[in-house]
Parts: sequence; structure tokens; C-alpha cells
Amino acid sequence: MKASTLGTICLTVAAGLMSTSAIADTSDKRIALSNNYAGNSWRQAMLTSWEKVGGSAVSDGTVAAADAFTTAENQVTEQAAQIQNLILQGYDAIVINAASPEGLNGAVKEACDAGVVVVSFDGIVTEPCAYRIAVDFKNMGKVQVEYLAGRIDGGDLLEIRGLAGVFVDDEISAGIHEGVAENAQFKIQGSVHGDWAQDVAQKAVAGILPSLPEIKAVVTQGGDGYGAAQAFKAAGRPTPIIVMGNRHDELTWWKEQKDANGYETMSVSIAPGVSTLAFWVAQQVLDGKEVPQDLSVPFLTITQDTLEVSLSNTQAGGVANVEYSLDDAKAVISGN
Amino acid sequence: MTALIQKPWIWAWIGAVSMWLIITIVTDIGAGAEVMSAAASFGTFFVIVAIGQMFVITLGPGNVDLSIPACMTLSATLAMKFMNGDPSLLLPGLLISLGVGLVIGTLNFLLILFLRIPPIIATLSASFLYQSTAIWSNRGLRVKPPELLGDFAVAKVFGVPFLTLAALVLTVAMAFLLHRTRFGLSVLSIGQNQKAAKLAGVRVERVRFVTYVMCAVLAAICGFFLAGFSGGAALNMGEQYLLMSIAVVVIGGTSVAGGFANLTGLWGASLFMFLLVSMLNTFGLSAGFRLIFTGAIIVAVIVISGRKT
Repeated sequence: MKASTLGTICLTVAAGLMSTSAIADTSDKRIALSNNYAGNSWRQAMLTSWEKVGGSAVSDGTVAAADAFTTAENQVTEQAAQIQNLILQGYDAIVINAASPEGLNGAVKEACDAGVVVVSFDGIVTEPCAYRIAVDFKNMGKVQVEYLAGRIDGGDLLEIRGLAGVFVDDEISAGIHEGVAENAQFKIQGSVHGDWAQDVAQKAVAGILPSLPEIKAVVTQGGDGYGAAQAFKAAGRPTPIIVMGNRHDELTWWKEQKDANGYETMSVSIAPGVSTLAFWVAQQVLDGKEVPQDLSVPFLTITQDTLEVSLSNTQAGGVANVEYSLDDAKAVISGN
Repeated sequence: MTALIQKPWIWAWIGAVSMWLIITIVTDIGAGAEVMSAAASFGTFFVIVAIGQMFVITLGPGNVDLSIPACMTLSATLAMKFMNGDPSLLLPGLLISLGVGLVIGTLNFLLILFLRIPPIIATLSASFLYQSTAIWSNRGLRVKPPELLGDFAVAKVFGVPFLTLAALVLTVAMAFLLHRTRFGLSVLSIGQNQKAAKLAGVRVERVRFVTYVMCAVLAAICGFFLAGFSGGAALNMGEQYLLMSIAVVVIGGTSVAGGFANLTGLWGASLFMFLLVSMLNTFGLSAGFRLIFTGAIIVAVIVISGRKT
């Protein structure tokens, strides 16, 4: 412990003496990922991306460690305890996908006070000392309606929401409703919760569909488009424009429809590789770079023209993904 | 008429029929028929897991299987991965699924018997093991079922889903098992008074073992067909089925305290749970309202059934 503290001081002094362009060395820095949930394909892809990019950063000697930790129960208290453990284990930076925006603030503050860099992403934390890589979820809902406005004259929509009571669900839905308010030719005829799961979405849509008029389009939150398509098929209804969410089965279905009858739609979601962006941001902060507290990450949109490329780049059964490089992170940091 | 009112399963059916009537009245009879067909399709999956849960709960206080979601996920994940879309492997795939159920049921029981862990804790903690195995085996990738399985899972005979018919046959068989066989009567007698049952010569642990295994095997089968039905196994595919399996059993008129069970109510309760959500969605009521409503109904049913006995 003493030796490493001494080493850190030496390095800091050396870096300070060496130049003013802050070429601090992060090769002895250890970064941890504190993750609240791993029980779906998106989270699994997120962890795989982290392992891949973090692992190669470790073998390159860019950082000393990039370890991932996931809590079992997706609970705030559990994750807070996990963060306290990570502080005690002496990590230099903790990257967090948080179970709650406010619930972890106490633990995050402790980390900051202990001199640990905290970067939150996807599930962000509101504690001011942490860095946030947020997704404009609201806009993710709104672009769907804007896309539809460009495609059709108007009509009745079905909205598939996510998991009730979760911040992301409220945000995307608010964006969709904002889009509909601005495009009065559309009307949301029904709204169901699909929990971001194909089988749940399929069940919910099958239940409400008989009571709905003809649906022109389905606005979604990702992970529910294929289930919706199955429900429309089972009910013997014409297939509406279903906005997809970048899952492999959704893209495969879209490609089949496109080849069979020229079906057109769009697909939008967040790349699970956003965890790697958070990794590089943490590395940059440790490197002594000036990084704004609030950053935003673009969502990943797939269009009619990019469908084939995206599909071939997506692992079978997985989610369309982008892994970020150090240069991408620098671009995101300077872009703000 | 009064005899009918006193049946424990009647309330679930009254609930289901009234939900259906409301939906049919605000829309039309065509929509009513469609929504009924959908309710039968999805209700079938609830019934399959609820049958197993019902036998477990009937064993008496403290008996419940919380590993159902993990069992469904693991069974579906391993079977889909093994078949990898090849229809000729359908039978071995189903056998793998059954095997997963057998192993999980046995493990659950061994934890309860030898480590003397209460069933709630044993099945809950073991479910982390099963879920983690599912994650580890396929990292959440969604493997498509063989087309044949998918077609079979959605096939209909005269508008009635084939799986529903199969589950009805299963229900009749299970009703026979419960009310007419030594095993079923043993389950009921253990639930009514474990000590008396033991003194009367019922081999309590053997009956418990078979019950937990049966519950896990049914969950595994449900996972297998649900994956076929919805286009693949997913890590969170079982999530809804934990609460649902218990709610369906309780609302269906099976005693939470054990010792009294009936299968007729499972169907009424399964249809009711599906139609309730559809009805609330049709009226555009929020998810929060739906959860409050569901909770209130479960509490009410327990209070009513508790008062009677």
C-alpha cells in the first residue's frame, strides 16, 4: 500500500514535471465496472463488450485492471455495498450502470471523497461529483414518430412501453407522446407494457389487438418489435410499420419482410458497447484530461439502407452493437 | 345454485367471464372471440406452471417453488441451443428439457431435505444457480427454435390453440392424479396434517420429492414450448411466471394453507389474469393501476377463502 502510494506520488510529480500537456500514465490505474443487472441479452452484450475492450486495454498496458462486477438482485442497497467494497479494494475509477438515479448517491459521494473517479452510463446517477454518459431517451421516442410522419399520412398507432416504473420507460414514452402532439395526424389508440421482452410484448399486444381499429404503425422501446409482429400475424391482421429495436431477431424478421414484399421500417436502440465509451472516459479522466461532467451518447439507428450491413455485423441472437475506441471517446468529450 | 357459489373455483371463472363481457361490450363480438382465443393461447402457459405450483402449495405451509422462472429459462436455453433450429433434433431437445426439470426438481428437494433449508429459501437461492447456468451457457443469445416447433406451438384446431387442448388433457389427467390416486390423496393429506398423514402411513418425503420434481418438470416443459411460441429462449422469459404461478393458484381457489386444491380454478384464474390486463389496456389504464388491482384481488381472494375454512 505504502509503496503504491509512493509510486503514485512519484508518477504524479513526474507527470507534472514532464510536460504541461498532461501525458499522465494510466498503466497502473485500475478501473472497475459496477453493474446492477445481467439478466437479458442487452446486458450480456454490454458485459462482453466491456471484457473485450477492457481486456485488450489491460494487455496493452493502458490500464492495470478492468474488472466487471454484477450484483445478483438488481437492488440499490446491494449495489451501494458493492461500490463501497470497490472503494476499499482501491480501484482508481468506478464505472457504474446504476440501479437507481438517486439511490446510489451516498455511495458515489463516498467514492468521490476517497478520490475515486466515478463515471455513470445508461443507468446514470445524479450525484454532481460523478460523470454521466446519458442517452437522450426522450428523443429516441420522438424520432420514431418523426420517421412515421415522413412515411405515412397519419393514422392510428399502438405504443409498446417497457418496464413500468422505470425511468427509461417514462422518458421514451414521453418522447413518443411529444412527437404525437406535434404530429396531430397520428393518434395513439392503445398502449401496453412489453417489458422489453418479446414474449411479454407478444402477449400484451395479442390481448389488446382485437379491441383496436386498424393500426398503421407500432412505436416501441426495443426488444419488443418481433413479439409485436408475431401477435399481428397470429391475429391475421395486416402488418403495420413496426419500429424495431436493433435485436437480431427483429432485424432478421425485417430482412425477411423486406425481401418478400419490400417492407420498410427503421430500428433504433442504444448500443450495449456504450460501456466501453464509459471505460475510455474513465481512462481519460484518470489521464488528467478535462472532461465535462455531462456527456451524451448517440443512439444507434438502422435504416432501410444499412439493414444488411448491420444484420451481418450482429451476432446471431444478440443486439446490434458498436464498441467505442479511445478516439471515439475523445471525440465525444470534445464534442461537448 | 348455492352449491355452485360455494365452489372455491367459481370466483375465478366469474372474474374471467365478466372481464370478457366488458371487453366484448365495449368492442364487439368478433373482437370478443379473438380476445378469447388469445387468452386461451397465453393462459395455457400459466396453467402448465400453475399445475406444478398448485401441487407444491397443497403440501402445506411453507411449500412453494420459487425456482420456476429460472427452471423455464434454463430448460428453454439448453434445449434451443442444442437443437439450434434443426427440426430432426426436436425429440432429443424435448428430452433435454425434461432432464433439466428432473435435475432441478431433485436438487430443490435435496436442499430442502438434507440441508433442512425452508423451501422458499432453498428454491430461491438455487434459482440463482440455475439462472447463472443459463447465462453462462449462452450469454443471453436468442437461439431460434426449429420452425416445426414454432409452427406446432401456434397451431390451432378450429380456432382453439393445439397447446391449449393438450393442456386441457393434462389438466384432466392431473385432476385424476389429485383426487383418485394414492399419490394425490397423500399430497392432500400431508397438506391437511403432516403428522397425521405420517402416522397413517403416508411416506411424506417420497411424496414431497415427487411433487417438487413434477413442478420443475412442468416448468421445464412450459419453458420449452414458450420458447417455441415466442421465437426463442430469453434470459428474462420466466420473469412473469413466478408471481403469476402463485396468483393463478390462489385466485383459482386452492388453499394457500395447503390441503385443498382444485384444477378447474386454474383455468378460470389464468384466463382472468390475461383478460384483466387486456381489459385495463383496452380502457387505457396505467400499469400502476393494473398492479394495484391485481394485488387487491389476490388479497381479497385470500381473505374470502380464509374466512370460509
